[in-house]
Amino acid sequence: MTLARVDYLIFALYFGFVLGIGWLLKKRVATSEDFLTSGRSVPVWITSLAFIAANMGAQEMIGMCASGAKYGIMTAHFYWVGAIPAMLFVGVFMMPFYYGSRARSVPEYLKLRFDEKTRTFNAVTFATMTVFSSGISMYALGLLFGLVLGWSFASSVLLSAAIVLVYTYLGGLTSAIYNEVLQFFLIVLGFSPLAILAVAKAGGWEGMASRLPPVMTHSWKYMSNSAENPMGVEIFGLVAGLGFVLSFGYWCTDFLVVQRALAANSMSGARRTPLIAAFPKMFVPFFVIVPGIAAMALMKMGLGYNLPVKGDSYNYDLALTTLMAQFYPSGMLGVGLTALMASFMSGMAGNVTAFNTVWTYDIYQGHIRKGAADSHYLRVGRLTTVVGVALSVGAAFLVQLYNNLMDLLQLVFAFVNAPLFATFLLGMFWKRTTGHGAFSGLLAGTGAAALTHGLTVAEGKGGWLGAVHQFPSTMAQNFWIAIFAWTTCFLVTILVSLLTRPRPVSELHNLVYGVTDMPPLGGARWYQRPGVLAVVVLVVCVILNIWFG
Amino acid sequence: MGDLRTPCGLFFTALGVILCALGVLFPGTRAPLTETNVNLYSGITMLVFGGVMLWLARRSA
Repeated sequence: MTLARVDYLIFALYFGFVLGIGWLLKKRVATSEDFLTSGRSVPVWITSLAFIAANMGAQEMIGMCASGAKYGIMTAHFYWVGAIPAMLFVGVFMMPFYYGSRARSVPEYLKLRFDEKTRTFNAVTFATMTVFSSGISMYALGLLFGLVLGWSFASSVLLSAAIVLVYTYLGGLTSAIYNEVLQFFLIVLGFSPLAILAVAKAGGWEGMASRLPPVMTHSWKYMSNSAENPMGVEIFGLVAGLGFVLSFGYWCTDFLVVQRALAANSMSGARRTPLIAAFPKMFVPFFVIVPGIAAMALMKMGLGYNLPVKGDSYNYDLALTTLMAQFYPSGMLGVGLTALMASFMSGMAGNVTAFNTVWTYDIYQGHIRKGAADSHYLRVGRLTTVVGVALSVGAAFLVQLYNNLMDLLQLVFAFVNAPLFATFLLGMFWKRTTGHGAFSGLLAGTGAAALTHGLTVAEGKGGWLGAVHQFPSTMAQNFWIAIFAWTTCFLVTILVSLLTRPRPVSELHNLVYGVTDMPPLGGARWYQRPGVLAVVVLVVCVILNIWFG
Repeated sequence: MGDLRTPCGLFFTALGVILCALGVLFPGTRAPLTETNVNLYSGITMLVFGGVMLWLARRSA
C-alpha cells in the first residue's frame, strides 16, 4: 500500500488538531485534581463517548475485524454479552458508590472500603498492567504500520507516543478525554464507509449469508454445543465466563474506563456515562466485525481479493487494512489509516492517564510522600506522564525483542483480573465484608486462575501441572479460568470476612449499599433516569440478538 | 476552551473540504473493488457532520 501526499496531509491535519486541543486545555489545569481527575467538570455526552473510545484501542479494532473474519457474527458476543450488561450494571448499581465516596481512583475506593493492603495490591498490579498493555498495543501498531506502509517500527512507535505524550502532558485527563471524543468520531466516520462498501460489494447480508457457512452469520444458533461453532465454547462458558466474570471484571472495576465516568460533572452524569455509552457500543460490531465477515465472502467471489496467508491459515489481522486498500482511494485511505492511528492513540492515552492517577495518588501519595502541597502532586503527575509514556515505549521494544513475553504477560494479567469483580460485588453490597477477607479472596482467586491454567490444556496451552481436562479452544479455557477464579475469590472472601472483625457501620457511609443515601432523582426527566436508560438499552440489545441469532 | 464542538466541527469540515475537492477534481479515481466516488460521498458526510457540530456550538454560545 502506498500513500499519496494528500494522505500525509490528512495525518498532519489530525496531529495538528489533537495537539491543538491539548494546548487549548493547558490553562484549565491549576491543581493536581484538574490534571488527574478533570476536576469532575466534564459534560456527560463527552464522558460517555470517551468511555467507549478509551476501550477502542487499535488492537481492539484490528482484533475484532480479524475475529469477524475467523468466527463470523458470533464475535458480536464480545459486545452484546461481554460489554452491554456490565456497562448497565456499573452505571445503575455501582456508580453511586464510586462517585459518592469521592474516591479519586478505583484503588482509592478499595482503600476507603477495605484497607491499605487491598488498595496497594490493586494499584500496583493495575499500574504494571496499564504500562504493559499500552506497550503491547504500541507494538501491534508498529508491526502493522511496518507491514502495511513500510514505516520502520521505531518511527511509528516513537511518533505516536510523542504525540500522546504532548497532549496528555499539556491538558491531563481533560485533554485525553476531549481527544478521545474526536478520535471516536473519526473512527466511526473513517471505518463505517468501509463496512458499507464491503457489504454492498458482497451482496448485502443475504449475499454474504449465501456465500458463507451458516455458522458465520448466526450468533446464537450454534452455541449449544462447543463442537458446532468455531470458537469452541458452549452457552454456559460464554454467559458465565465472558458475560459475567470477565465482562463485569473489566467494565465495572477497570480504572481505565471507570475514570472517564468519574470525570463527569455530577452524580447523575457519572451514572449515565456508561448507560449512554452503551447505545453506540451496541452498534460497533456493524462497522468493526461485519467488514471481517464481508472479507471472507469477497474471497469466494473471484474478484481477486484474498487475505494474505500466514503459516497454514489466513493472516486474519490484516483483514481491516487489506479491505481499506481495496475500497478506499487516496484521500479516504488517509482518513481510514488516520482513524486506525486515532484508535491506537485513544487506547494509549487511556492507559497513560489511568496510570498517572494511580501512581500519583495511590502509590506516591499513599506510600512515598504523604501530605505534601497540591502543587507538588501536580508536578509529580506531569512527570509521571513522561515516565509512563517512556515505560510504555520501553515495553513495546521489549515485547518486540521477546515475543513470548507478550503471551506470558497477558496470561498473568488475566489471572490477576479474573477474581476482581467478586471483591467489588461483595464490598459494595455486603457490609460484613472485611479488608482481610477481600485481600485473601483476591490472592486465592488469582491462585485459582493459575491453578486452572496449570491443570487444563487447550490448543497446546496450559497444563504445566498435568492435564486433568482438555478444552476445545483457548477461548473456552480462558472463560473457565475466569469462572473458577471468581468463584474461589467469592467464597474465600465470604469465609475470611466471617472469621474477621468487620468495620463499624458508621465508617461505611457512602461506600456500601444499605448505608448510602441513594442519589435522588427529583426533577430528572424520564430520559435522564438511569433505570429508564438501562431498560431501553437492554430491549434494543435483545432485539439485536434475536435478529442476528 | 469549554466546548469541544468547535474544534470537532472545524476538524471534520476541513476533512470534508479535502475529500470533496479530491472527489470533484479527480472524479475518475477508483479503489480496485469499487465503482463509487468514495472520496466525494465520504467528504459530503464529513462536511455535514462538521457543519452540524459548528451549528450546535454556535447555538449554545
